[in-house]
Amino acid sequence: MDTQDLPVNRKTYIEVSRLMEFMSRDLELEAMAGFQGIDRPVYSSDINRPGLAIGGYLEYFANDRIQILGNTEIHYMEKLNTATLSQRLDSMFSFEIPAFLLSRHLTPQNIFLDMCNQRGVPVLQSSRSTDEVISRIILFLTEEFSPETVIHATAVDCYGVGCLIVGSPGVGKSETALELIERGHRLVADDVVALKRHREDHLFAETNEMIEHHMEIRGVGIIDVKAVFGAGRVRNRKTIGLIVELEEWNEGANYDRTGLIEEYIEILGVRIPYLRIPVRPGRNMAIIIEVASLNHRLKEMGMNPAEQFNERLLHIMHGNNRPT
Amino acid sequence: MAEGSHEVTEELTVSNRLGIHARPAAAIVQRVLAFDSEVYFNLNGNRVNAKSIMGLLTLAATRGSRLIVQCKGQDAEEAMHAVKELFTSGFGEE
Repeated sequence: MDTQDLPVNRKTYIEVSRLMEFMSRDLELEAMAGFQGIDRPVYSSDINRPGLAIGGYLEYFANDRIQILGNTEIHYMEKLNTATLSQRLDSMFSFEIPAFLLSRHLTPQNIFLDMCNQRGVPVLQSSRSTDEVISRIILFLTEEFSPETVIHATAVDCYGVGCLIVGSPGVGKSETALELIERGHRLVADDVVALKRHREDHLFAETNEMIEHHMEIRGVGIIDVKAVFGAGRVRNRKTIGLIVELEEWNEGANYDRTGLIEEYIEILGVRIPYLRIPVRPGRNMAIIIEVASLNHRLKEMGMNPAEQFNERLLHIMHGNNRPT
Repeated sequence: MAEGSHEVTEELTVSNRLGIHARPAAAIVQRVLAFDSEVYFNLNGNRVNAKSIMGLLTLAATRGSRLIVQCKGQDAEEAMHAVKELFTSGFGEE
């Protein structure tokens, strides 16, 4: 399977309005000022506490990040006299700032809001505590900026293991997924799977917003899995634990017969265990994938049946005098 | 790339009134499945496998959309020819 030429998309910036749209409910956000700048770009997934900048130290001011104002900053500003505050803010506003975000329903002084209104720098207020705001914002931004791709495959949650089923068109990916759904597992996406890296070492499969949980089954046509099988048989995202490639039975090919050799495939820089399974009439692919998933779970729990079996075998053969 | 393997790329314009909806998508898939080549359609940074109806539908290609069509494989030229024919005929629609 060739994953090298998958087109990788990665956002270079997001607009403050997008953050508003997706985090409004989570952070109970309200816009207080600077509405005209709501489409300002955010280039970094990190945040900044501008305490030092308000204090007048502007070297290394991380101005391109979302600026979080908590109790410290707000109360410090209140302590300054108007002339000093206005001068400090002026210097700070000579930098491009995407937005200010206040925690704990904090309200800055009018002079601050006026400046933001004049310059079109959005000021958002959240009801949550500062640490909560920071961790949720960073999580959201990191995800927004993570690389993504789209792959022609099928993603199923099988016994809690996200399986990405790949293979040439017509090999039976959709049919296999259908049988897995029939057996109680869940469909994430068929045919068009969006893959997103999460943190450094997780790969998510996501449902395509347009096709949702529709599937094309040759001979039947387009079906809606959610309508046919119910809401319990679908989900919108799942971490991928296993990649299974279905391929036409090939007499000459060497398939893993012991499970002692572990193969991996790298997608978006994440290494995922990989199995190649030959397809032939009469071989029930769904059951094979179920077993592969369960076996994967065992390995994750620290058990490796193939290794352990071989160990036992070696012990029977050689006792404690195993040649080295 | 394997010996005798080719890659051809062309820009084709969607000409039928409704664009690539389910029926044209099915027609495209049926046509390209006859070839060994891999066929990809690209639009606005999205690349989909033209042997997948669902893939084609996610492009939401309306009339006038210009798709970059890539054919890779031994019969790439023939596949491209067939795809072109479909586009010019408006996928058999008005």
